[in-house]
Amino acid sequence: MGTVNYMSEIERALQTFHSIRVSDIMPSIVTMPIVTLDAPLVDVLKLLRTRHHVWVVKSREDMELEGVIRYFDVMNVLLPPEDTKARFGNISALFKSILGGAERAEDVMERNVMTIEDDATVLDALKRMRHYKIQILAIVDEKGRLVGEVSLRMLIDEFLRLMKLGGAQWTQHGSSSRSE
Amino acid sequence: MDATWLLFTLGVALIFGKIGDHLMERVELPGVLGEILMGMILGNLVYFGLVSPEYLTLHPSDTFEFLAKLGIIFLLFLGGLDTEVEMLKKTGSIATVSTVLGVFVPLILGWFGLKLMGYPSREAFAGGILLTATSIGITVRVMMDLGVLRSEVGAASLSASVMDDFLGIALIIFAVGSGSVLGLISKMAVFFIITGIVAWYTVDKYLRFAEWLHVEKGVLAMVLALMFLFSALAQHWFDAAIEGAFMAGIVLSRLPEGKKLMEEIKSIAYGLVVPIFFVYTGAMLDLRVFASRDALTLAAVLSIIAVIGKVAGRGFGAIIMGWDFKKSLQMGIGSIPRTEVALVDLMVAIHGGAIPQSDAQKFIAATLIFITVSVLITPPLLKWAFREDVEAMKRGEMEERKSSISETKKKIAETKKPRKILKR
Repeated sequence: MGTVNYMSEIERALQTFHSIRVSDIMPSIVTMPIVTLDAPLVDVLKLLRTRHHVWVVKSREDMELEGVIRYFDVMNVLLPPEDTKARFGNISALFKSILGGAERAEDVMERNVMTIEDDATVLDALKRMRHYKIQILAIVDEKGRLVGEVSLRMLIDEFLRLMKLGGAQWTQHGSSSRSE
Repeated sequence: MDATWLLFTLGVALIFGKIGDHLMERVELPGVLGEILMGMILGNLVYFGLVSPEYLTLHPSDTFEFLAKLGIIFLLFLGGLDTEVEMLKKTGSIATVSTVLGVFVPLILGWFGLKLMGYPSREAFAGGILLTATSIGITVRVMMDLGVLRSEVGAASLSASVMDDFLGIALIIFAVGSGSVLGLISKMAVFFIITGIVAWYTVDKYLRFAEWLHVEKGVLAMVLALMFLFSALAQHWFDAAIEGAFMAGIVLSRLPEGKKLMEEIKSIAYGLVVPIFFVYTGAMLDLRVFASRDALTLAAVLSIIAVIGKVAGRGFGAIIMGWDFKKSLQMGIGSIPRTEVALVDLMVAIHGGAIPQSDAQKFIAATLIFITVSVLITPPLLKWAFREDVEAMKRGEMEERKSSISETKKKIAETKKPRKILKR
């Protein structure tokens, strides 16, 4: 019996979890790792010592999202350009290396950022992450401005928090939010 | 045909191709040359009667020809996907003028040279196109070894390479496309409106639809479908499927989904069809063609024009934009190497009929020779062109380094001291 209860608790936790809006669990924008296009690479690397990614915006005033630099991209930045493999279709990596001339955030960022709207649910975010094998999504408003982020780690935290809260509370509150 | 030997040849071609790639990379040359060389060996085992064509069915073979075509399409699709339109927009004025002249000078010289040799105009023009696109890889390595990649010339060379490929690919339409120039241009305009503008604004809806299907690798399949449909349209209108594949790549490159699929597309491309394309191209070259002097003469003419045309074109472009002679020469020499785009253009020209089958062997031989020459002479020429800069840098840096190393050592010693005290 105990096991059955436990399973249904998990199921209920998951159901609630899936229906939470990403905007409810996204962190405050001031805590997010953000640099502007012209930020020197050193600033980016400093952030990546403790973060998995850095968002690149046009300016801090309008927060228009221009790109993202991921933890894994650092390998291309620090390695010399792989010249013998630089064949057609594989050239852009040359520009991302410091030895290839990269100096600022915009030189090494990935320009097309995978985003999700702020009214999307956790389920949407997870599906998108699985589909494109990525762990982080930018949350943007209708004008393409960066308003938040959702990462797999945040989702794990949120799920564990729900598990901790227990069955009755989830069903009462429907969705949970940081303000609780 | 017995599928056994077809599958056998496919396996052998991939193994040999990748080993060739590895061997060339070990001697710091483009891996593509190794794949071609291995293809040449495999092909000529058959041509010289050492292996029966029944067992090694590489060439002639409809299957391999089609796989090689797929290889070109995938290569161009990746090329498009890898292109950052933003980067292209940011190409500086010096790099732009220099690149444009660096493309048109060898094209025009090649055209005239081949016409003087008695080739018909269309064929001569196709020959000129082969000389247009630079392959930046080897230049990057040499400049990096010399420590000049981050110089003004290095940066301009890098940014020029993107536009260079772009022009080399676009121009082949004029060699293989049939009908009047006006007709061709209007077809190009319509093609651009359909594949460029319309697709640019609707491709995200198309991808949303693909995601909505929720089937295994649905998005990848739909993206490949788009590539094939664009290729079909370009093949129908210009006899050059590559233009469609390239445009499909560019259109998708604006979306994060397209970039994310790149690794999966690379798996198909570099894991199967692209090496087959290079091995097949090598296998197309029957070494007996060198028995006639024609092929060697053509190779010599194309090699000379390839080198002189690029250096003169790029260099002159840089000079008229205000660079001094030395820097312009460095920029010109950096643009000598040619590899994959020349081969792609060659295959498109042969399949599109711009280079007739009777001359195909000669052109393949000549192209492979001028590619090899261009790749081999670039490193020593670049070292010669940059020798003064490198020596000056060494002299200046030596003193600077000495003082900075001693300063750093002092700093390290200072920062270590307090920690030791704390531990105690």
